[in-house]
Amino acid sequence: MNENVIDRSRDITILEVLDRVLNKGVILTGDIVISVADIDLIYLGVKLMLSSVETMEKLKSGRH
Amino acid sequence: MGKLIYTIIKASEEPRQLTRVLSGMHGISNAEFLEVSCEGITAVVCDIQKTGMVAGHASAMDYAGVIEKLSKDFTLLPVRFGSIMESDDDIRKMLSGNHLEIKKNLLKVEGKVEFGLKVFCDTEKLKSARNIEPGMKTKSATEAGALHNNSVYLDYVNKKLTEYRLEESVLSYVNSVIEEITDCFAGFEASGKFNKMVSPANIIDALFLIKKEMTAELISVVQDLQTRYSDLNFILTGPWPPYNFVDITIS
Repeated sequence: MNENVIDRSRDITILEVLDRVLNKGVILTGDIVISVADIDLIYLGVKLMLSSVETMEKLKSGRH
Repeated sequence: MGKLIYTIIKASEEPRQLTRVLSGMHGISNAEFLEVSCEGITAVVCDIQKTGMVAGHASAMDYAGVIEKLSKDFTLLPVRFGSIMESDDDIRKMLSGNHLEIKKNLLKVEGKVEFGLKVFCDTEKLKSARNIEPGMKTKSATEAGALHNNSVYLDYVNKKLTEYRLEESVLSYVNSVIEEITDCFAGFEASGKFNKMVSPANIIDALFLIKKEMTAELISVVQDLQTRYSDLNFILTGPWPPYNFVDITIS
């Protein structure tokens, strides 16, 4: 494979992977319990939790 | 305790192979993988302490890594990160209740892989190369004697008109590139999705689902496109599991 064309460099790979794994695929809706780093547990619907890391950060800081 | 679902696999033909592959892998928190099967489809899951799931980049990447590894040997549907069900019975009910839709999607992606193609360019350079005449040299402007050429109104309208013409010209160019890509990929029987002007630099963000064995040919075609459009930067990523070609929402 030509590495100039196939770009699996770190930055683009992380973005592409996260975009896919957080936003795509089979979607199961329901309740989920997660803990994010050093903060208390968050109880959310799966759809909400998985919307984006940004949404999670907003929820974490109390902004909606 | 819950069950974190990674993927749904068409595993009925090779159940032992799946068990063998999974035996050498571990999920989140080092948990072992389990198979929950129903009517020829299998969900790959691992036990998870609901309170112990850390939803960070690292765990999302690990999760994606498991799906990618399994996709090399099996036809699968990736499940979105963080999907947890209470028990094996719940998962079986989910598989059974959505059996037809799952099978339909598995059939659609069988033997295929996803590729992403992003096209970047220096939009400012592209705009300046489009040779758009600045200003509004229209009859109506000339004939409207009441308006001075240097009026604020005319300047504003001229600016907007030029911007509009430039955007239109760039969009027309992007459409012509998409047409060219579509023509080049015609032989792949690929399913394709295009997004235009994702950002000022990222003028095309495309996704393709192609047969695995066409991978080398696809790379060659993208190389040709890169040669032909030297002002653009083509970035091909993949092969990916078919994340963007799965269309199921399960309640």
